[in-house]
Amino acid sequence: MRGWLRYTLCVVTGLVVGGGAAIYQVRSADLGRQVINGPWSTNTDNGTADASALARARVALFGLLALPAKEAMYYQARTDSSGAALDGRCTYVVRGTAFDARWWSLTLYQGEGWLVPNAANIYSAGSGSLIMMESKPAQFAIRVGPDIPAETNGFIPTGGVSAFDLTLRVYHPQGALLDDPARARLPSITKERCA
Amino acid sequence: MTRRWIGPLIAGAVMVPLAWQATLLATPYALMAAAMQKIGSGGPVNSFAFGAPATAANQPIVRPSPDLLYASCVFDVSGGPVIVEAQAVPDTYWSISIFDARTDVAAVRSARDTGGASAKLALFRAGQRPPVGYDPVRLNHDKGIALIRVLADPRIDKSAFDAIDRARRTSSCRPANSAN
Repeated sequence: MRGWLRYTLCVVTGLVVGGGAAIYQVRSADLGRQVINGPWSTNTDNGTADASALARARVALFGLLALPAKEAMYYQARTDSSGAALDGRCTYVVRGTAFDARWWSLTLYQGEGWLVPNAANIYSAGSGSLIMMESKPAQFAIRVGPDIPAETNGFIPTGGVSAFDLTLRVYHPQGALLDDPARARLPSITKERCA
Repeated sequence: MTRRWIGPLIAGAVMVPLAWQATLLATPYALMAAAMQKIGSGGPVNSFAFGAPATAANQPIVRPSPDLLYASCVFDVSGGPVIVEAQAVPDTYWSISIFDARTDVAAVRSARDTGGASAKLALFRAGQRPPVGYDPVRLNHDKGIALIRVLADPRIDKSAFDAIDRARRTSSCRPANSAN
């Protein structure tokens, strides 16, 4: 084999391996895993010049146009509180207490971050609806599952997909949510049953 | 035989971290460019496109919030500063955020920052003079996206939703040297 061909072969292989490894790293992770809190993970440097190249690439793929932490925190969960992967054929209850924030919302996504089609056209639940209903409980329970109940307030359909994630948005977060997200009081995710 | 491969193998090994880093650095630019092209198809550059609530059938960008009404402006300051005015929407959350071509946030303003007043931003590059009377936002890239978020849920109160929708549509994005 000629010398130039050996160089070409090795250089191209190096480019493919390096580029492929980067793509795999970006695609195999979530929106951000700088901070872990139970089943939830988050980043603290979204949209800032401090973000690493890998963190920036992941946010661009999984949450393009995400806001900086001071404006909004994004917590993502792909497992329940026991560590089992979230399965759209199962029903879960997400229990927590109201957050120290301007408003918050829990949204269900599949894949890189796409809303899941469902018969009720419901994709989220959170403080927006609770406040507008002139009810602001200190605690909340949101059910997530494939079977849409007659009363859909506080329910998010999974559409029966095999895998999904939950993204908790907290706008204008205060206290530990912003300053110490690893210790912030976040909701539990408990599996109730599977179809 | 083996000796003839040492140089090529070293060259290949050097390429691995270089390609890894280059791919990571290029990814935000590529995805942002794709987003600007997709969002820009909804209207001309330097003007807002006011989106409908996100649903499974309407997802202009990844991980949209169904609780928010979005308005997006693909801006380009290569021809001079661009004015972005985000109308204050009472009794709900709203914000305007400026993302550059690398996905960095150049500015975020909400009612918390403006004291409830509308946000009036002037986007500009080094060497340009931002117009007086606006909150200057210096950019490191010519192009990017200005994004307005307004909390509104049509399922709860349709009349309140319609009022919010009307209010946010008075926001504007335009070149500073335009007649308006």
